[in-house]
Amino acid sequence: MRTGISELAIRLRNREISAVELTKAYIGAIEKQNPALNAYVHLTFDTALKAAEQADEMLKEGDAPLLCGIPMALKDNICTDGLETTCCSKILKGFKPYYDATVWEKLKKQGAVLLGKTNMDEFAMGSTSETSCYGAPLNPRNTNYVTGGSSGGSAAVVCANLAVYSLGSDTGGSIRQPASFCGVVGLKPTYGAVSRYGLIAYGSSLDQIGPLANSVKDAAIVFDAVKGVDKRDQTSVDYDYGSSLAECLDRDIKGMRIGVAKEFFDGINPEIKSKIEEAIKLFERNGAVIENISLPALKLALPVYYIIACAEASSNLGRYDGIRYGYRTSSYTSIEDMIVKTRSEGFGDEVKRRIMLGTYVLSSGYYDAYYKKACLIREEINREFDAVFEKCDVLVAPTAPNTAFPLNYKGASPVEMYLSDICTVPVNIAGVPAISVPCGEDAGGLPIGMQIIGRRFGEATVLQAAYFYEQCAGKVIGAYEGGAGI
Amino acid sequence: VIESSGQTRQQAAVRNGVRIMAISKTEIEKLAKLAKLSFSDEELERFTAEFDEIIAFADTINQSIEGGTEQIRNVGARVVSFDDLRPDVVVPSLPNEKILSNVEGYNGFFSVERSKK
Repeated sequence: MRTGISELAIRLRNREISAVELTKAYIGAIEKQNPALNAYVHLTFDTALKAAEQADEMLKEGDAPLLCGIPMALKDNICTDGLETTCCSKILKGFKPYYDATVWEKLKKQGAVLLGKTNMDEFAMGSTSETSCYGAPLNPRNTNYVTGGSSGGSAAVVCANLAVYSLGSDTGGSIRQPASFCGVVGLKPTYGAVSRYGLIAYGSSLDQIGPLANSVKDAAIVFDAVKGVDKRDQTSVDYDYGSSLAECLDRDIKGMRIGVAKEFFDGINPEIKSKIEEAIKLFERNGAVIENISLPALKLALPVYYIIACAEASSNLGRYDGIRYGYRTSSYTSIEDMIVKTRSEGFGDEVKRRIMLGTYVLSSGYYDAYYKKACLIREEINREFDAVFEKCDVLVAPTAPNTAFPLNYKGASPVEMYLSDICTVPVNIAGVPAISVPCGEDAGGLPIGMQIIGRRFGEATVLQAAYFYEQCAGKVIGAYEGGAGI
Repeated sequence: VIESSGQTRQQAAVRNGVRIMAISKTEIEKLAKLAKLSFSDEELERFTAEFDEIIAFADTINQSIEGGTEQIRNVGARVVSFDDLRPDVVVPSLPNEKILSNVEGYNGFFSVERSKK
């Protein structure tokens, strides 16, 4: 099993290894493997080494935070002062933010060492990371397959041990689905638990930043470090989680009520279904109470998600006009022409599709039939989740209906690709937390993910259930050999 | 009216079992103008077909959930009282030159190519 954050922290404190040595080991591994994997799109080795030196100073002084000196990565839509942040879009190429996202500001203060920014679907719109303007990252488990998306690079760097942990963002499954495809752990926190300040907006009422890590404990440690209210994000919530969640993982699940909603299992690949059912039996054998429940509005979750997310995206992406930052077209005849050409040349096809759908559902004559109605159904989905969590502590479901797609898979239309988000989008619509944990492999050796969903601000229970499963099932997927070798 | 408009579109989309485009090229062009995007003829052709499938997908929200969509009532917009708002206080902001550091050739003005003779 690979070394976790807590063990690395002990080794750093015992001077068995310095933060600079640790960082150099990761830099070496990235230089060797990233050209093939394409998981990082911007490398920040110079600043990483400086940060590592500072981390060593902090460690020497004593009382350094747990994440001090630990090398990590950020998704390319999280703003980093002075370091290129592009959302993997041509329209933002060369853009250097002039402020830090709150999550990065917090981690930096704790001595985190940023190795680079990770590949993703353009503006986080996609399920394979193939819409990136830098080309797709490859799945380290099998490089003929995609990493999933949109936080594909963030999942790949953790999987290949090219970072100890990473942050991603999840609007409709973008942390959990790539975590599932790459066999790592991914946590989408409650909406409002983590500040979105400095996260480049896609669907603002759905977006949430969260960790991808090699174990449930590591994910809990990172969540502990980034959560909290922020006056610069009015949707962040001042919720008191009590003590550190990473320190309360060890809980007997006897009596824990686990809900199983049949709607999450419709149309799921049989191999995945049987692995999740085995996991449910494992919970049951250990004293959990299984409740079979139903969430009828779930079948409307996908169109509701795409309507709301695209409506918000069409508004959020209105700011890319080529005037204040990013790409600008080279020849034009008027200001209007400049804006239209800049956007048409700068955005990729998937982004254009979603802007167009968003514009359509918000346009006069269609607003009531689509956007308003989607918002009403969203309330219904919320009520159903609230009712379910009256009698269940968590829900267990697959993370995705399938394992990783082959690269350049042409067999699916845009809508068929949207359908693959069926298990993850309801969680964002309801704003509840969910984790994806590795749950075995399919016959082809590709990882399968199990999703554990909790009530709003119920991260503690979600993490406890996930930790219990991880401990019980053992490392269900063999640790990836390679990377920094630490 | 809200419930029926989507269904009407869906019904219109399939006549005698033949799928009829729910959205025309002209409508796509109008939308593109609103979204400040432009498409070449070839892109427009492909996009219209794809978009048609996407609209049909979005239309599925008009399928009734158990007991019919009339169950869903407007829960009403959340009303925020003035007492809930933060005081309107001026706080330091980022310096202008930093905010504008990504603007190419900024010298107090945004410069673009001359477009009017």
